[in-house]
Amino acid sequence: MGARELFKIAWQGILSNKLRSSLTVLGIVIGIASVITLMGIGEGAKKEAEKQVQSLGVNLIYVRPGAASNASISQGQGTAPTLTYEDAKAIKETCPSVDEVAAQYNSAFQVQQGEYNTSTTVLGTDPAYPEVRNFHPARGRFFNADDMKECRRVCTIGDTVREDLFPDESPVGKQILIRGELFQVIGVMEKKGANQMTDMDDQIFIPITTGYSTLFGLNTVTGQAVKMVLARAKDGQDLQAQFQITNLLRLRHGVKTPDQDDFQIRTQMDIMQTAQSITGVFSLLLGATAGISLVVGGIGIMNIMLVSVTERTREIGIRKAIGAKFGDILWQFVLEAIILSLTGGLLGITLGMIGSDWIGRFAKWTCIVTPFSIILAFAVSLAIGLFFGIYPARKAALLDPIVALRTE
Amino acid sequence: MVENVVELSAINRVYEMGEEPLYALKDLTLSIENGDYVAIMGQSGSGKSTLMNLIGCLDRPTSGRYILNHKDVFELTDDELASIRNTTIGFVFQQFNLLSSMTAIENVMLPLVYAGVEKEQRIMRAQFALQQVGLDQRRYHRPTQLSGGQQQRVSIARAIVNKPRILLADEPTGALDSHTATEIMALFDELVEQGITVILVTHDGEVANRASRIVRMRDGQITSDSRIRSQKNTPA
Repeated sequence: MGARELFKIAWQGILSNKLRSSLTVLGIVIGIASVITLMGIGEGAKKEAEKQVQSLGVNLIYVRPGAASNASISQGQGTAPTLTYEDAKAIKETCPSVDEVAAQYNSAFQVQQGEYNTSTTVLGTDPAYPEVRNFHPARGRFFNADDMKECRRVCTIGDTVREDLFPDESPVGKQILIRGELFQVIGVMEKKGANQMTDMDDQIFIPITTGYSTLFGLNTVTGQAVKMVLARAKDGQDLQAQFQITNLLRLRHGVKTPDQDDFQIRTQMDIMQTAQSITGVFSLLLGATAGISLVVGGIGIMNIMLVSVTERTREIGIRKAIGAKFGDILWQFVLEAIILSLTGGLLGITLGMIGSDWIGRFAKWTCIVTPFSIILAFAVSLAIGLFFGIYPARKAALLDPIVALRTE
Repeated sequence: MVENVVELSAINRVYEMGEEPLYALKDLTLSIENGDYVAIMGQSGSGKSTLMNLIGCLDRPTSGRYILNHKDVFELTDDELASIRNTTIGFVFQQFNLLSSMTAIENVMLPLVYAGVEKEQRIMRAQFALQQVGLDQRRYHRPTQLSGGQQQRVSIARAIVNKPRILLADEPTGALDSHTATEIMALFDELVEQGITVILVTHDGEVANRASRIVRMRDGQITSDSRIRSQKNTPA
C-alpha cells in the first residue's frame, strides 16, 4: 500500500475525533513552545554575558598580585605588594605578544569642589587605559605621556563623579580637591555603567606617577605597588602573551616552581568561559524544565492512541478481515501519532517564536531563537510521535481479527 | 468433474481452557466444490463460526490440513493470510461491520486500497459493485444514513469488489426483517449464478433451503451433509 493511502487513512482517523485530536496536539504545542522559548531565554543570557565580558575590553589579560601567605593564613588577593609598577613596565617592554599595558592602583578618597563633596575611588593608571578598557573620554581628554612624565596634577572624572561635583556646570578646566590636594579636571569619561566588579562611572582617573608622588603614599623606596596590571594581547596571541608574562614575572620575582607564584593571571577567555559555563547550566536547566512538559505531552499522545486503539478495536478487526496486513495497521496508527506530534511541533515552534519575540519586547530580555533549537524541536516532536505511537500501534496491529470483530 | 476450492481434512481446533482441552472442531473433514452454494447450520456452540473463521483464513487449525484454492494455508504467514482474505475471500457479517466514518463507496473501496489498486480503478470497480447490489444511488451516504438492508448491500458490495472466489456470510439476514432478508438472499442467488462460491452460516431453515447443499454440525463435528439440489451453476 502506498504512503499516500496510509497517510489518508491516518488523517481520517484524526478527523474522526477532532476535539480529542486537538487537545492531544495542545499538549505537544505547549511542550515545544516552552522548549523554544526557554532555550531562547538561555541563548539570550549567553549572548548577554558575552557582550558584558566583551565590553570590559578585548584580548585582556589581568595580572594581580598573589595572596601573601603568612603562616598558612591566606591574607587575600592583593594584600602583598608583590606586583610593582616596574613589573608593568617590564611587561610592556619585553613581551612581544603584548600590545598595550595599563597598570592600576586605586584607593578611596574624599573629593571636594566648592560646596560639593563626595567619596570616590581614585584610580592611578597609564595613558593606555582608555584604549585597553575600551572606555573613552566623552568631553575633554584623558591624560597623556607628558602628564605622566611630569607627574602633573590632572584628572579625568567619571560621569557619576561629574554629577556629584559639577551638577550645573562644565567641569573641564575646573579644579577639585582630592584629599586636600589640588587637581585640574581635563576630561569627563563616557557613561559605562557598572560591571560585575565596580561602578565604572564612579571613579577619578589620575596619572599613576602623580598618584605615587601625592596620594598613594608609595615611593621608589617602599616600592611602587600596583593592584592590577591590565595587558592587552595582540589579536589571536592571548595564550602566547599569557605565557610570556608568566615567565617574565617568575624570572623577575625569582619564583622557582609554579606553586610559589606570587601573582595571578586571568584572561578574558577565562572570564568568558566562566560566564559561559554559568549560562550553560542555566540553559540546561531551562531546557530540562521544558523537556519535562514535552515528555508529558508525549505521554498524552500515547494515552490517547491507546484509548483510540481500544475504541477502534472493531474497526481494526474489519480492516484486517478485508486484507489489511500487520504493517498497514501499524503504520496507520504510527502515522496518526506522528501527524499529531508534528502538527503540535510546528504550531509549538510558531508559538515559541512569537513568545520569544514578546519576551524580548516586553520583558526587555534578549531572547534568541536559533535555527538549532527549531531543528531540535522539530526532530524531538517527530521522535515523540514515533516513540509514543509505536507501542499503541503495535498493540493494534497484533490484535487477533476474530477477537477484534467480536468486540462491541 | 468440478474442482474443490476448499479442502479440509482431519481438522482439529482446540482451545486450552483450564485443564480440559476444548475441541471447537474435532477431526472435521469437508470439501466444497468451486461455484457451490453451501449452508452450514447448527446451534450456537456447534463450531460453525469456528469453521467459518478457519475457511476465511482468520484463524488456523490446531492440526489437520486446509487446502484453499490449491494452497496449503498452514504454511502461510500472517501477512500472506491477510493477502488471501483480501483477494480470494469476501466476508459478509451479521452486523454489517461497515466503517461509520466513511461513505458507502469508500467502504466498498477499502479492500482495493489494501490491494494497492490505483484510485481511478478503485472508483470504477466500487461503482460497479454498488450497481450489482442495486445501491448505485446511495454511494455517498454514510452507513448511519442507510437502512439495515441497504447497509448489508454495501457490505456485500465490499465483499465482492475484489472478485473473490469465495463469499463467506455469517448470519447475513440475522439482523434484518423477513422482507429485506428475502431481497438479500436473492442477491446471493445472483452471485452464485455469476460463479462465486457462497458459504453461509445460518440457523434459519428457510435461508438454508435456498442453498444447494446443507451441512449440519454439532459439537464440532458434521452430523449430516445433504445436497438438496444440483449445483446451480457449473463454471467452465
